[in-house]
Amino acid sequence: MREERSAALAAAVLSCLVVVTAAVAPALTSARPANQIPVEEVSGDANPQRPTAEVWTAVPSVDVPLTSAPSGLPNANDTSVETLDVQAARDQRRLYVRVSWKDGTADRNVTGPREFADAVAVQLPVNTSARPPIAMGSTRTPVNVWYWSADGGTEELLAGGPGSTTAFGNATVRTTTTYDDGRWTVVLSRERRVPGPNRTSIGGEDVDVAFAAWNGSNMERSGRKSVSEWYHFPLGPGPQGPPYETILWTVAGLAIVGVALVTITAVRRT
Amino acid sequence: MSGGTSEVDLAEGVSHQVAMVMDLNKCVGCQTCTVACKTLWTEGGGREYMYWNNVETKPGEGYPRNWGESGGGWKSAEHGERSPGEIPAQGDYGRAWEFDHEAIMYDGSDEPLRPQGDPTWGPNWDEDRGAGEHPNSYYFYLPRICNHCTHPSCVEACPRKAIYKREEDGIVLIDQERCRGYRYCVEGCPYKKVYYNARTKTSEKCVFCYPRIEGSGPDGETFAPACAEECPPQLRLVGFLDDERGPIYKLVEEYEVALPLHPEYRTEPNVYYIPPFAPPQHSDAGETVDVDRIPREYLEELFGERVHRALDTIQRERERVNLGESSELMDLLTDTNPARKYRLEVFDDA
Ligand code: SF4
Ligand code: SF4
Repeated sequence: MREERSAALAAAVLSCLVVVTAAVAPALTSARPANQIPVEEVSGDANPQRPTAEVWTAVPSVDVPLTSAPSGLPNANDTSVETLDVQAARDQRRLYVRVSWKDGTADRNVTGPREFADAVAVQLPVNTSARPPIAMGSTRTPVNVWYWSADGGTEELLAGGPGSTTAFGNATVRTTTTYDDGRWTVVLSRERRVPGPNRTSIGGEDVDVAFAAWNGSNMERSGRKSVSEWYHFPLGPGPQGPPYETILWTVAGLAIVGVALVTITAVRRT
Repeated sequence: MSGGTSEVDLAEGVSHQVAMVMDLNKCVGCQTCTVACKTLWTEGGGREYMYWNNVETKPGEGYPRNWGESGGGWKSAEHGERSPGEIPAQGDYGRAWEFDHEAIMYDGSDEPLRPQGDPTWGPNWDEDRGAGEHPNSYYFYLPRICNHCTHPSCVEACPRKAIYKREEDGIVLIDQERCRGYRYCVEGCPYKKVYYNARTKTSEKCVFCYPRIEGSGPDGETFAPACAEECPPQLRLVGFLDDERGPIYKLVEEYEVALPLHPEYRTEPNVYYIPPFAPPQHSDAGETVDVDRIPREYLEELFGERVHRALDTIQRERERVNLGESSELMDLLTDTNPARKYRLEVFDDA
């Protein structure tokens, strides 16, 4: 009799746990996995290329912390951009990355030898299934870099290690910018699939992404820059995609409940 | 005179090293070299403020102003660690002066022809000021180009290896395709002989007139750099440091009277100077007194301590000539034969 009671108690506790888990787990997973930048589906008509477009208010934003890039250059540790606000969206054809950061001076014009322009860059692996070394990739695992600089240039670059950046002849990256209230906001976008062997194809797989920013008035340029760790855009069918998460948790929850019910029934019968 | 046994120090991988010797005793400060270089290489297109060749008055702050205090070069003779330098401000180069030729020459304006705006610095700004008191004041001219150093700290400073020292003759060039205008070379060169072009967004520097020395002119003839060929008193010798039969080798390696500027930067320049040799001081009564007009300590600041021996050697050889004896060194310094002054084809079949 006593055994029976304790078994029933255990079953009750277990079923409570199951209920709690089933209720809480989906909420837990909707808190974003580390270093993920969600990509919202938007309509091209919403004009996501405009930094101030209404559509961006509905896109979640990720705070990406930056640190000085390790580099042998003089004063490499003296960098000033600490955080980027990053948002990402896609429509039928393009991926849009909206990057925003604080910078008290808009350094647009380089007319003298000591002047440098503000800049920002988005780095993607050429081959999305291998994660390249964060510092500009390597010869085996090259990276694509979308580079915007405030003196009017947008470049699409290929790099296979530090100091090896080379511009593509035909840049397919588009940038639009605002500087307002001490903040730069830049939207960089590219068609998700662009022909050519050395360009990241953005589509059915998760894509790693890293960021860099330069403050021109602090004489930042080249490897003297603020950089992020690797992040990723969850574009693939992997387990972290929100619909799969929910399905999996539901399945797991149901299984647990099933087991519990079976156990309870079994205990009652004994 | 070491008898020709010196080992010539060439950079690794460089077969021969071009070099120039400038005899400062002959420079009249006419700036013909400056203009020859400017019209050949740096007219317009963002290059207005640049002087790949400049001639400054010494003592003086030079161009860019106080370049000698801007850092750069190497911390030790091992060339392991650079001392990072600074990029000069535009104001220290001065801006290109604009003149209103139109109004004055054609529209009958009475204004004198003078620079528009109010210049505060420029190349050879402190022209002929010099130092010292009458009757013993002194100055001399110092023509400067890139030294095409054996251990160029500009090359080491570039994170993209866009500056390189080319194998065939050690000329230091910037690959304009690779350069992204980071200006670490401008910081790193202690002589401030790399310039940033804000128009092209690349850095540019003296190319030792490589197309001329390669003979890529109309008839395939080789020419010495324009600054050398155009100099009225012909004070520059051009050739290879490792051409043991040429005057440069003899002046640098054997007689050791041709010295690099600021050897303490340790980039090992391949432009060498015969130090200026001024007549001694005068008393107020006009008598010669046995005191150097240009203080030796000042020359030592510029050319290092070897300047004492160099000046002593020159003085000794001058005295020999005055006594009617022959002196190979004086012959080398007074030779006017261009075929011997510019020996650029000696290694052609090498
Ligand atoms: S003088 Fe300056 S620019 Fe020229 S090679 Fe030497 S370090 Fe480089
Ligand atoms: S052309 Fe000759 S004399 Fe005239 S400034 Fe130049 S180096 Fe001196």
